[in-house]
Amino acid sequence: MGEATETFYSVIRRQGITRRNFLKFCSLTAASLGLSPLAANDIAIALETKPRVPVIWMHGLECTCCSESFIRSAHPLVKDAVLSMISLDYDDTIMAAAGHQAEAILTETRAKYKDRYVLAIEGNPPLNEDGMFCIDGGKPFVEKLRSMAEDSMTIIAWGSCASWGCVQAARPNPTQAMPIDKVITNKPIIKVPGCPPIAEVMTAIVTFITTFGKLPELDRQGRPKMFYSQRIHDKCYRRSHFDAGQFVEEWDDESARKGYCLYKMGCKGPTTYNACSAVRWNGGVSFPIQSGHGCFGCSEDGFWDKGSFYDRLTTIKQFGIEANADQIGRAAAGAVGLAVAAHAAVTAAKRLTRKREGVVQEKRSKVQS
Amino acid sequence: MRVQTPNGFTTDNSGKRIVVDPLTRIEGHLRVEVNLDADNVICNAVSSGTMWRGIETILRGRDPRDAWAFTERICGVCTGTHALTSVRAVENALGITIPENANSIRNIMQLCLQVHDHLVHFYHLHALDWVDVFSALKADPKATSRLAQSVSPWPRSSPGYFKDLQIRLTKFFDSGQLGPFKNAYWGHPAYKLSPEANLMAVTHYSEALDFQKEIVKIHAVYGGKNPHPNWLVGGVPCAINVDGNGAIGAINMERLNLVSSIIDRSIEFVEQVYLPDIELIGSFYRGWLYGCGLSGRSVMSYGDVPENANDYSTKSLRVPRGVILNGNLREVLPVDHGDPDQIQEFVAHSWYKYPDEFRGLHPWDGITEPNFELGANFKGTRTDIKELDEGGKYSWIKAPRWRGNAVEVGPLARYIIGYAQDKAEFKEPAERLLKALKLPVTALFSTLGRTAARALECQWAAHQMRHFQDKLVAHIKAGDTATADVSKWNPESWPMEAKGYGFTEAPRGALGHWIKIKDRKIDNYQCVVPTTWNGSPRDPKGNIGAFEASLIGTPMADPGKPLEILRTIHSFDPCLACSTH
Amino acid sequence: MSGKTAQVLNVLSSVGVAGKDRSADRDVVYVYEMPVRVWHWVNAAAIMVLAITGCFIGTAVPTMPGEASDNFFFGYIRFAHFSAGYVLAVGFLLRIYCAMMGNPHAKQIFYVPIWRRCFWDELWQTIRWYALLAVRSDKCAGHNPAAQLMMFSMFTLTTAFMIVTGFALYAQGSGQESWQFGLFGWIFGVLPNSQDVHTLHHLGLWVIVTFVLIHVYAAIREDIMSRRSISAIISGERDLRD
Ligand code: HEM
Ligand code: HEM
Ligand code: NFV
Ligand code: SF4
Ligand code: SF4
Ligand code: F3S
Ligand SMILES: [Mg+2]
Repeated sequence: MGEATETFYSVIRRQGITRRNFLKFCSLTAASLGLSPLAANDIAIALETKPRVPVIWMHGLECTCCSESFIRSAHPLVKDAVLSMISLDYDDTIMAAAGHQAEAILTETRAKYKDRYVLAIEGNPPLNEDGMFCIDGGKPFVEKLRSMAEDSMTIIAWGSCASWGCVQAARPNPTQAMPIDKVITNKPIIKVPGCPPIAEVMTAIVTFITTFGKLPELDRQGRPKMFYSQRIHDKCYRRSHFDAGQFVEEWDDESARKGYCLYKMGCKGPTTYNACSAVRWNGGVSFPIQSGHGCFGCSEDGFWDKGSFYDRLTTIKQFGIEANADQIGRAAAGAVGLAVAAHAAVTAAKRLTRKREGVVQEKRSKVQS
Repeated sequence: MRVQTPNGFTTDNSGKRIVVDPLTRIEGHLRVEVNLDADNVICNAVSSGTMWRGIETILRGRDPRDAWAFTERICGVCTGTHALTSVRAVENALGITIPENANSIRNIMQLCLQVHDHLVHFYHLHALDWVDVFSALKADPKATSRLAQSVSPWPRSSPGYFKDLQIRLTKFFDSGQLGPFKNAYWGHPAYKLSPEANLMAVTHYSEALDFQKEIVKIHAVYGGKNPHPNWLVGGVPCAINVDGNGAIGAINMERLNLVSSIIDRSIEFVEQVYLPDIELIGSFYRGWLYGCGLSGRSVMSYGDVPENANDYSTKSLRVPRGVILNGNLREVLPVDHGDPDQIQEFVAHSWYKYPDEFRGLHPWDGITEPNFELGANFKGTRTDIKELDEGGKYSWIKAPRWRGNAVEVGPLARYIIGYAQDKAEFKEPAERLLKALKLPVTALFSTLGRTAARALECQWAAHQMRHFQDKLVAHIKAGDTATADVSKWNPESWPMEAKGYGFTEAPRGALGHWIKIKDRKIDNYQCVVPTTWNGSPRDPKGNIGAFEASLIGTPMADPGKPLEILRTIHSFDPCLACSTH
Repeated sequence: MSGKTAQVLNVLSSVGVAGKDRSADRDVVYVYEMPVRVWHWVNAAAIMVLAITGCFIGTAVPTMPGEASDNFFFGYIRFAHFSAGYVLAVGFLLRIYCAMMGNPHAKQIFYVPIWRRCFWDELWQTIRWYALLAVRSDKCAGHNPAAQLMMFSMFTLTTAFMIVTGFALYAQGSGQESWQFGLFGWIFGVLPNSQDVHTLHHLGLWVIVTFVLIHVYAAIREDIMSRRSISAIISGERDLRD
């Protein structure tokens, strides 16, 4: 086993894949990324000249669902990604080594690939209890995160946990779980939110970096524009029913069977940036709305704390009250309305008595004169 | 110090201490420490769950109808099973019933999870404890092909097929970038397979990786996506419309066909790849029957997969239900989730606080209050632990007990109970496999038995999927398309106070959720999870849990390389996110 | 009145729309210049449309029959909301222009002179008047201090907020390359989950509704109690004879 790092191209050529098939792969990749055919050439050049990029995949507080999603990738197949496109040198969920043999890989990667490895984080570090709500190798996970981040080239924040905090950071966030960008502030962080994100979105982002050798263009919130610049609602196939005013009113009603819009069932498609309605899930089989449940905004910041998933108007939880905008508004307007009515009544009453007094006074003055 | 535990094990923490942390190829964060005697035999074991998120705390004050989504995020590996348990708990509390079709669809989803999870666990989390990838490079592809064809009719067993993979693997190893295979235990004396068997297994590792993503498309059809499909209190969210106006937006013929074809392919894969592999690999490890632990004494299953909607009686449940204590296979005891004396959790050795640490609490009255403090004899510092002190608190996992007994849960427990109840569909396949391996029944109580039971169950579950899919179609044919009961959807229709529980048999074992509802909000929510049972730390009386018990007595070939520890712990398919939640 | 506004008024009065400034002749004050009055009613109309359509957007309509392609009901409701939103926004800009160019009364809704002692004195007076403690309020040509405070906080600020959040929400549909996103997308930096923007925008509706309630009541009451005509906002003149 030599030290030589090998290029993606040489790996697949030696696997008996022809150059023609290789180029075909490149143009397919370009197409699946929504790039122009010209980009296929760039991909080919990149793959021919670069060694596989080391990827260190670490887990904080999480549910491993992001890993589970990743291995569902159909294009590329995850085995092709792991065997030929990247070098997944550390991932506690699938790696063969354990204990100090596993730990040793981290030290080695830091030294050998300084500023050249991608750090992929699933889950997030808790800060409460000195970080000991997530212990890894006897130490707080956050320490491991900080040290591996220091020498990384870039960080991928997988899923809503790493991007926003997700379920463990939902109120009252007992462990003080923090999104990655609250802990690592001096490295580029690519947020790939979703609980979990779509498999092909995950692999596309990794292969984008390895093939183009640059980071994808990010939006204001640090998400790759290519997958997160439009809402579920913008590409939802039930949108025509929304515009028409055709809604599911109750689970399993006529409208549900006809596939009408789920707005009234609390669908958060109108406020959720993700690729589900376009890319879909599990090789394009479906996505939440297609199977009858509204989107509950699993790729959005703090989506757990916006009230019930089934409410169209989400709850406001402030100053000890918990209600939606209409409840609060109606209460306020109602109170003011009552006050106005009362005020009007008192005014009228006062006016009447004053008038009467006025009349009496007038009479008196007449008498006097 | 030698200690006799009340549940019949001898521990001795005087010898050399070995720490494995992180214990990889599992879900979540687990630490295992063992003591070795002079012959490198494990004589004490300490397992510690090293993560906690507080989902139970987070659930308080929320809408019970949302709870499934929160609890589903307890784990993405056994995705969906917590959600199902949760909707059952809420329905139980509020007296909500579900339509027959919803029951069938839920069962199909739960069984689909079993098939997927077991397959991925064996090939991608467990296999490398038995299979030496490096040795596969030395195999003869022709001989591998002959071997494969001798155990299975699987069509992809040509010499070229195995050769392709071998070439790919060779180049991969040659590149020097070993990825997930780096720093592993290749060449370890505890590996027993021939190079050909290794090559066959590695090839199927890769094939199973491709195939597993197909299985979960069933979740995508009925639940919109996988991982983390969608569920609904009162039924399922997907409506059925096979030939009406707008059928294209519902469960229609095309969707049913898709599910049906995946079920067929799953049965085929499990029967022609997974089971033959288990049998072949098992034959090399017939002599390695360590890891019995609690399995030979106390096991438990709640039962699951109700044949009839809303009927959770033992008769309706297709998965066996009951408890076996002290190895008495002649008596299967009944479980009652509502009995305050049966299921209780203790925290004397867990990082939580109870008013009285010597008493257990039934989940309805459960308390989850973190309290991170280390025992007096731990080594290291508070934030750099070198060795835990099992005499004090040492894990984020609570210690659940059934009538005070530590029990093992999971596929093996289910098969043992099914066996004890003389259920042919569990007993016969187990006996057939044992016979093929020329092993006695007692061989079931082992690491190997756990791994084999999982494979048998995978096959069982795949066939059950077929059963419920056919049932669903039959109902639709009879004109029943109902999938949800919304009569108690509106919280206004609920009582001001209610409590309930829901249970399932998750891939890793018995799973229960207990809920208390007050003023239409969750007042208390407690989960007692399979890996909470198996990964349990000691209880106040000193009973050790299943992980710990299973390691004791196992010899290690090379104490610097913990392969045997990994092998036995992995046979439980630990899920730490689940265990602590 | 500034030169420019006078010019506009002259043009308008020549086509018979605007009233003439007769305040010099009688004991009246010309308070609301014509553009302000026109704006008032256009604005009021826009807000009516926005409030009603906004409520529909919030809770949706009962399901329409027929094929989706045959209906565009919810689409029209939203369209009406967005059109009225544009009217409101453009009107608001014009109103700011009027404030810069018009008479001192035209500026009142854009500030609260908290730095002036007499503002506080008068506010106290007015509060007593509304609390039915004082017999009569001081005569105010424009808004009394309480009205000014309310106009500024509940109307001007809220309207500005509704415009900003409204266009930010609009930008979600028009896309990240739209000018709406360019101008108002920063909102999502402050509130990353746009569901919050919806909620606050929705809450704004109720602030405006509450304002209108108080405002209309106060206007009518004032009209009766102080003999100041509602016509002030119709003719522009306020009768100060007593
Ligand atoms: C959506 C409904 C309405 C809104 C948002 C609204 C808003 C306003 C605003 C902002 C002003 C201040 C004008 C300025 O100085 O620029 C004003 C003045 C006025 N409005 Fe309205 N208005 C509404 C409806 C009405 C109605 C229905 C009436 C009649 C009953 C009315 C009567 C008046 C009067 C009399 C004034 C002058 C008040 C004073 O001088 O203090 N408004 N309104
Ligand atoms: C007084 C002013 C306004 C009121 C009372 C108002 C009211 C509302 C209400 C109640 C909603 C429903 C919010 C929800 O529950 O999600 C809404 C949505 C919306 N409003 Fe306004 N609005 C006002 C001004 C504007 C303006 C100036 C715009 C800019 C064009 C605007 C654009 C929108 C948009 C884009 C939506 C979301 C529509 C959708 O999700 O389909 N609004 N508005
Ligand atoms: N333990 C556990 Fe689970 C399972 N199976 C849940 O109930 O894995 Ni994540
Ligand atoms: S983002 Fe969601 S799916 Fe991913 S690890 Fe976190 S909880 Fe699990
Ligand atoms: S189902 Fe949801 S995302 Fe689709 S159109 Fe309706 S509201 Fe929008
Ligand atoms: S809930 Fe999540 S999976 Fe997609 S449709 Fe909504 S973002
Ligand atoms: Mg619990």
